Amino acid sequence: MSHVNAVSFTILIVLFLVVTLTGFVAGRWRRADDLLQMTEWGLGGRGFGTFVSWFLLGGDLYTAYTFIAVPALIYATGATGFYAVPYTVIVFPIVFVFAPRLWSVCRAHDYITPADFVRGRYGSRGLALAVAVTGILATMPYIALQLVGIQAVLTVMGVGSGSNAFVRDLPLLIAFIVLAAYTYVSGLRAPALTAFIKDLLVYVMVIVAIIYIPTRLGGWSHIFSVSADHLKAVNPKTGKPFGSLVTTPAGEWAYATLALGSALALFMYPHAITGVLATKRRDVIRRNMAILPAYSLVLALVALLGYVALADPAVRAGVKAHGSNTQLSVPLLFEHMFPSWFAGIGYSAIVIGALVPAAIMSIAAANLFTRNIYRDYFKPDASPRHETRVAQAVSLVVKIGALAFALALSKTFSINLQLLGGIWILQTFPAIVAGLYTRWFHRWALVAGWAAAMVYGTIQAYRVPVSGQANSHFGGSTAPVFGHTLYIAVAALVINLVVSVVLTLVLRALRVATGVDETRPDDYLADPEQAPDGVTATAPAARS
Amino acid sequence: MSQPVPRRHSPITWAAITILLLAALVGTLWVPFYARSTPKLGDFPFFYWYQLIWVPIVAVLSWLAYLLINSGRAHRGHRRPSRDDQPGQTS
Repeated sequence: MSHVNAVSFTILIVLFLVVTLTGFVAGRWRRADDLLQMTEWGLGGRGFGTFVSWFLLGGDLYTAYTFIAVPALIYATGATGFYAVPYTVIVFPIVFVFAPRLWSVCRAHDYITPADFVRGRYGSRGLALAVAVTGILATMPYIALQLVGIQAVLTVMGVGSGSNAFVRDLPLLIAFIVLAAYTYVSGLRAPALTAFIKDLLVYVMVIVAIIYIPTRLGGWSHIFSVSADHLKAVNPKTGKPFGSLVTTPAGEWAYATLALGSALALFMYPHAITGVLATKRRDVIRRNMAILPAYSLVLALVALLGYVALADPAVRAGVKAHGSNTQLSVPLLFEHMFPSWFAGIGYSAIVIGALVPAAIMSIAAANLFTRNIYRDYFKPDASPRHETRVAQAVSLVVKIGALAFALALSKTFSINLQLLGGIWILQTFPAIVAGLYTRWFHRWALVAGWAAAMVYGTIQAYRVPVSGQANSHFGGSTAPVFGHTLYIAVAALVINLVVSVVLTLVLRALRVATGVDETRPDDYLADPEQAPDGVTATAPAARS
Repeated sequence: MSQPVPRRHSPITWAAITILLLAALVGTLWVPFYARSTPKLGDFPFFYWYQLIWVPIVAVLSWLAYLLINSGRAHRGHRRPSRDDQPGQTS
């Protein structure tokens, strides 16, 4: 075991304990009469206002992806990784348009998951199952990304670097078990409350890092020029330069489709929808779209830390010493540049910034399983308490699945875990978003479009080798389509839409039954003051 | 139980909202426009400061769109949501 800095380690442990305590206490916050109602455990009682929702949605969206994966990609390839900035710019106008409608219809009918809505809208358990399975599947690599992020910090700290595999992964396992325990107990209230601590740490860390470190490295001008030189160097594995400071013409399509595909996909993720549905009022969502870009600014600044790290010779040496693991670049930068107490705060920000979203994600996936697989297919008469018990148990299982993803897939670029999830989750976009506006699409056409796109997307992603390793798989998320390199998710979405439109025309011509739509046009604009208290879908509270 | 508020905006308002929101998509997805390193702003190449500047712009655009959408509501006597985020309140 290499030496562990006692000061940094102590600060990390103390802050971890504070978060753990907060997570357990959170169950008592805005105390519910019965925490064993799905709305309470899984949606925090649907009572979060603008302020809390800002933290919760921020906790949802800015994760180890922001702090580890994006800077790692910039460190390694330059401009390509900056697509995360346009992605987090355009996501807000897109969500601004449709999320209020989703909120209203879900409140009116007491839907808890996106698949609940699809089931009610199309009268199709099959389509709801497709949405639910996709949500669970896509969430697992996203949680896995959080694990990789935590692992990166622990590696740099020298914690758990023993030769024994069990000892090596023990700290990560402990962190995960603790997370699982307070999620189990407190439900969505836990990440909502711990998100405060997380964001405080993150903002402090980012502001200090972005102001202080560049001055020690000779300023931004020097940082950009050193980075440009390093990116120009030829990668011996591929025979091409590592990257460039500005996107090349060949990379422009990939850049734009990565941004667009990620933005369209983000609010299809069950955890992001959970954050939306947990808000108190319709208004809260739109107001948040104007204040959430504060997180985009943080993301952009953290992304630039990738260059700052590249300009620091000590970080370059450190990354090389760890088998060119670029995920370590930001933690190594902290280790080298900060006094150990502040490095400890930076490490904590990354670790807690990974734990909070992991909690929300596992809750959202558990809701999906319980409502749309367990209740629909195994136990239709499950009581709300029984449902909540199942969801609690599933939130544990989901985390184990995530662990499997983290161990099985290449860690060269952890961002791939998120992009792979995006390929899958984006295929629920037509059913959910089109469904908010029109019943024109036929339910079976949507199922077929989804299936075709899932198969296409998965095969394409499987065929992308890890850079420099022949016969490897799932090494990237872009592929050449029609002469341009595109994000596979976007290409698959086009296939999805084409199949859905064509088959809808066919099925309508054949007059195949379209299923019963239990929603009404007014439901999509409803704005009730109170959350429906234990109201079932058959007696929507919003209708008055 | 409160009434759902059906919103009736003029087509002009909707067009304005659409333009506000589309501006962000066009401005950030049209990569050839900003894939260059000059003119620099301070030490930052154009590619970087151009995209960074879109972050505050999109916040302002979203806020304007929010105000436009809500503009029809206030005078109809609809209760404006108050600051309702104090922890401890039950709902």
